[in-house]
Parts: sequence; C-alpha cells; structure tokens
Amino acid sequence: MKKVKVALLQLSTRLGAIEENTKKIIRGIERARKKGANIVVTPELATLGYGSGDIYLDKVSENLKAVEKIKNKVGDFYLILGYVEGDNKGFFYNSAALIHKKKIIGNYRKVQLVNYRIFDEKRYFKPGNKMPVFETKFGKIGILICEDVWFPEPPRAMALRGAGVLFVIGASPYERGKDNVWVNYLRQRVYDNILPVVFCNQAGCQDGVTYLGLSMYINAQGEIVKKGKLTEEDMVIFNIDLDEYKRLRRRDIRLREVRKKVLEDLVKAFEEMTDDTHSI
Amino acid sequence: MIHIQFDREELPLIEKIIVESIKTRVKKSGAKGGVVAFSGGVDSSLVLHLAKKALGKNIIALIMPERGVTPEKDLKDAFKLVKRLKVDFDVLEINEFVKNFSKVLKRGTKKGKEYSIYNLKPRVRMIINYMYANTLNYLVIGTSNKTELLLGYGTKYGDLAADIYPIGDLYKTQVWQVAEYAGIPTDIVKKVPSAGLWKGQTDEEEIGYTYSQIDSVLFCLVELELSVRETSRILSLPSRAVNDLYLRVVKNEHKRRPPTITKISKMCLDKDWRYPVERE
Repeated sequence: MKKVKVALLQLSTRLGAIEENTKKIIRGIERARKKGANIVVTPELATLGYGSGDIYLDKVSENLKAVEKIKNKVGDFYLILGYVEGDNKGFFYNSAALIHKKKIIGNYRKVQLVNYRIFDEKRYFKPGNKMPVFETKFGKIGILICEDVWFPEPPRAMALRGAGVLFVIGASPYERGKDNVWVNYLRQRVYDNILPVVFCNQAGCQDGVTYLGLSMYINAQGEIVKKGKLTEEDMVIFNIDLDEYKRLRRRDIRLREVRKKVLEDLVKAFEEMTDDTHSI
Repeated sequence: MIHIQFDREELPLIEKIIVESIKTRVKKSGAKGGVVAFSGGVDSSLVLHLAKKALGKNIIALIMPERGVTPEKDLKDAFKLVKRLKVDFDVLEINEFVKNFSKVLKRGTKKGKEYSIYNLKPRVRMIINYMYANTLNYLVIGTSNKTELLLGYGTKYGDLAADIYPIGDLYKTQVWQVAEYAGIPTDIVKKVPSAGLWKGQTDEEEIGYTYSQIDSVLFCLVELELSVRETSRILSLPSRAVNDLYLRVVKNEHKRRPPTITKISKMCLDKDWRYPVERE
C-alpha cells in the first residue's frame, strides 16, 4: 500500500509579523520532520498572517525573503507554503508554493478570491486562472486555497488532471456552525471526485477574529480520519493511503463518467447567466 | 431557524474564544491588564469573570455607585462577586462628580439638561475607567453586548467607551446563557436588567419590549437578514413594533463607529486605510 506521511502546521500566524511567523513555520517544519513527515503544510498566507489588511501591500518583498529563507530549510520532502506572490507586472496573488529540495517546484494562485463580510481579498490580490496538479514522488497532487474548495470546479479540474490527493490551505475564521460547514464542503469534494482531501487551517485569535483551526484529513471514502484542535495551534500528523481512491473508483462512475457535452452545456449555462442584461 | 440560544456544547468554546481575545489584545497592545467598570449586573459580571480568566491578577473592578440611585442589592452583588472571583477592586461614588459637572451647564431646557445628566453618569465612570487604565497601563474592557450595540442603548463616550468589547457579539439573552454557564450567581443572572441611570429604571420598560422579544427581532433582522415584514410575520409581532426596533438599529449606526472623517485626500483614515490594530 502506497502511503505518505503528512504534517499539518495549524499555526496561529500573527498579523504582519513576518519574522515571528517565519520562525514558527521553520520550527514546525523541524518538528514535523522529526516525526517523519514527507509533506508539510502551512495555512493560507502563512508568512504574513491572514487578515493583515493593507500590510499585505507593504510587506510583499519582506514576505518573499521569508519564502527564500523557508525554502532553504526544505530538504528531501515537500512543503506547501501559503504566501503573497508578486509577479513582474506589479500584481499580487494569494498563492501556495510547493517546495522540494530547496526549490519551488510548483506554484498555485487562489482562483476564488473572497470578498464578503470580513473578507477583502480583491482589494489586494489578482485571482489565478489555472488549476494545475503537481508531480511529486508520491504521485500527482492538487493544491487549493480555502474558498477554492467551496466551488466544485477547481477540485474537479485537479481530479481530472490526475491528482491523487487534494491539499487545501485555509484561514477560515470561527463563527457559529462553521465547523459543520467545513466538514460538509470538504466531504462533498471527496464525494464529487473520489479523492482524499486534506485541510490545513489557521488558528488563534487576533483583532477579535478567532481562526477555526480544525485542520483535517478526510479519506476517499469520506471518513474524517484525523482532526486538529478547534481554534488552537496544533500539529496534525497522519498517513494518507494513496491507493484507496483507485480501489474505490473501480465500480464508481462519478469521475469517470464526467461528460464533455455536459461540461460544454455547463459553460453555455454559465455564459447565459453572466449575460443576462436583457432579461428582466 | 431562529436559533439564538447556544447549544450546551458550544458554551465552552464561546468562553474560550472570548478569553483568548482579551488575552491577545492586552498582550499585543503592551498593556499590563484590564479595567472593568463593574455594576454587579450580568454583563459586567460576565466580563469580569472572562477578564479574570484571561488576565489573572492583572485586573481591577471599579465599582462606581451613585448614592440614592444604585440599589443596595447591586452593591451587595458586586462585593460578593469580586470576593468570589478574588478580583482587586475600588469603590468610587460618582455623586460629587455628577453634581459638579452639572453646574457647568449654562443653558438648555429642563428636559435637555435632565437628558444630558443621565448621560453624564456613564461619562463620569468612563473618565474614572481611563484614569485607572492610564495609571496602571491597563486597557478598559467594555461591557456592551450586541443587543445594546444594535439598539444604541448606551452612552457614546460613556459606557460605550472602551478598548475592546469582548461580549459585543453576544445578544443579551445569550449573555444570560454564557453567564449561567460561567457560574455567575443566579440572582445576578436573573436580575431585572437596568442601566441604573435613575431610581427604579429597567431596560425593558425603557425600551418598551422584553429582551426576549428584542433579541428575536434583532436576530431575524441582523443574522437572518429578514425584512421588517418577514420578521413580524415569523414572530407574530405587530410590524409597528418590529419597525420601531429596526429604526433604532438604523439610527444608532453612529454609536458603533468612530467619528466620520470628511474625505479630502486619497487616503482618508476611516475609509481608505485598512490596518489591523493587533499587528507586529
């Protein structure tokens, strides 16, 4: 049975405190490595701390230096790191880097930026448009950022591209009932695609907002195998069975029978919805 | 659908989140502790309990009765609780200050004067709060709840003046529930709520509705985002009553905001500039 050991660093990153956050991440990596983790995961925007407001804009280069520093600590294992990416046009992205042997071997830009209630990501970031999968020695993996997994399309695209597991990094605040919301969404994506899903969320309280924590691993059958603490820092370690989903797919049509004609009509339906200026 | 009350299993987490938020803010702001204006009512009792959990010895309860107005029972309750919680406290009667400040007024109708003097009392308490806070390098921990904040049932720069509102996202009926869970004595929890501005005043009489009615209405309008008409239908309350509360919410937005700044520059501080308070 092909297995991979994963460590989720459920950190309470502090707002704009790049040095402190970098130390926390590096310490987390070291602890995870001692426990034999092959893949280590941080929450969303971990270098800067989610909820940093206009500090995001002020500290992009400092955050990139932190990525460099963290990158150099990554040996023969994988790190999925949430950070602010800057492109050569002067635009910023809410991104995740996949780091291996001191190199960024993959980069993902959040496609579904969040702008309701306390969220204000479009003020700072440009959305990504690509839903790639990344080759690792454990097979292909997909990386998603928080709200991306509340939409069926990004996980589906990654499943179609052959991802054997989806990693979701998040910074989701606590509010009443939110724990169930997350379990439901994550599990739904597992059911949609018959794939294990891993969620690594921010924890801790700042500026009156408490992050939910509750990082978790849901296997391809939809069972919660491991769960992190609510709202507190934690390190969640578990093994993922990378063959299970293939066994489950033998007699299950959910991904196999996705039909092009249906997808084409879906795109058409979407265009009809977005071009409804003439309807009442 | 109208699920205002917490489930029993939610209560420990609610308490923990609030305690953590107090702890974090005090630490991040470089303060040494917290001041709580303590009336012996349920709101300030709960806040005192939470502050004690967060800050240990570094809190002071300021008991600020007005002779002739504050009921003996409130004072007794207050003394009982500070002793039980082992909280340091001072007792400061506000009569002299109120009397002297009242002399400042050189104009206005009798009714107008009376109104300003009702508001003067919480403002005197505010001055004392901040004198203590400055002297001890403490923060002022506010005791306003969500019901009061929504209705504007509080004095601007009086009892509403504080550095944080730890129970500001709890409706009054939820405060009762959390207070009960926290072990606040039943006679405090069950006491008829009063702002204590004049002898015999009760909140429910002054506002015109019971807290249970008010919270149901506010919950529908705010949390469920229902219209006045829908709210009145669902709760079987006259739409005039619902509308009355709705207008109070609307008219009191100013009490929930810092003063509006007239925009001149491209970076108006209350509109364009968005930095967190708790940062590196």
